[in-house]
Amino acid sequence: MFNKQNQGEVFNEFETVIGPSVKVKGDFNGQGNIIVEGVVDGNLKTNGNLEVGKTAKITANIEAKEAKIGGHVSGNVKIKGFLEVTATAKIFGDIEASSLSIERGAIFNGKCVMTTGVEEVKKIKVA
Amino acid sequence: MNIFIYDSFLNQKKYDRLLARIETRITDLGLNGKISRLGPTKNVSETIDNELRRGAKTIIAVGNNKTINQIINSLVSSRIPLGIIPIGQDNNDIAKSLGIESIETACDILSARLLTKIDLGLANKTYFLSNISINNKGSVIDINKNYTIETTEKGLIYIFNLIGEQIKLLPGIKFIPNDGFLELVINTYCNKNFFTKQDHQSIFKIKKVTIHNLKNQLILDGSVSISAPAEITIVKKCLNVIVGKNRNF
Repeated sequence: MFNKQNQGEVFNEFETVIGPSVKVKGDFNGQGNIIVEGVVDGNLKTNGNLEVGKTAKITANIEAKEAKIGGHVSGNVKIKGFLEVTATAKIFGDIEASSLSIERGAIFNGKCVMTTGVEEVKKIKVA
Repeated sequence: MNIFIYDSFLNQKKYDRLLARIETRITDLGLNGKISRLGPTKNVSETIDNELRRGAKTIIAVGNNKTINQIINSLVSSRIPLGIIPIGQDNNDIAKSLGIESIETACDILSARLLTKIDLGLANKTYFLSNISINNKGSVIDINKNYTIETTEKGLIYIFNLIGEQIKLLPGIKFIPNDGFLELVINTYCNKNFFTKQDHQSIFKIKKVTIHNLKNQLILDGSVSISAPAEITIVKKCLNVIVGKNRNF
């Protein structure tokens, strides 16, 4: 979905859509792709991909396979693959991803850990 | 033996010619069986129980969504297939979703006998094949007790097993009635002023949901009302249905 060849593309198939007029409270665990345009309070976790629209307001820790963030996120973001942060994004929390792109204009306050980099450092230490 | 269950509204004289046409077509296709007409004194579940005991091979609902809903609630525990002959254009979207578009195609589909096992939704103690709808005003949606959903605009809440023509889905979304999941759809209408009228859609894949609402009732398959609170679950592949090639799944 967000692999190197088609970075920045939108979802083709998705399972959950949290629209702009909806507020989800609690722990949301999904299996497929998720689009968030509304409000989420709690934890947000999926084995699929996540797209956070510019109207979204998330107060939660996020875990996903790959993600594109364009809204407001207060919480830690843990992505296994590629994380794309667009110009409209406001992220207040730590980011963990294996590859990352931050567009000019985005706001990001927190620490950033690149998981692929950590593995390389570990390998160097072992050697 | 094929058992044709005629809904009570078909007892009106205006349907006589139409029913005669169906019966001729059924005889031509060699599908004739027993006709059972529902009426104020004839109960659906009693009729179906009796026919199943006598060894019915197929139950055919002749009527609309309401007829189908009544029949599935009696047929659910058996493995006998359900056939459908839709009468009229209104309140007949279940047949359309199953690829049964007209009376003529319905008879041909019965003859072809393409069987599919599909899920059924269960709201408290009433089964539904297609969907549940309720006004979102005053509704509280509780999913698996893990999270709750609140809406900020006016609109309608739907729970789909088999989607009909009630709503237009966002591109890239397809509902499958034998995947073991129900789809909760919230359609809201934001009209802060006339020129910026916007519709929003939210979709959640669920297995169990509880809906609370003190004022409004839940409508099952567009025809049967039940009171909230209602616990809605899915029963996997429990109904054998004869479907057409043009079904929407």
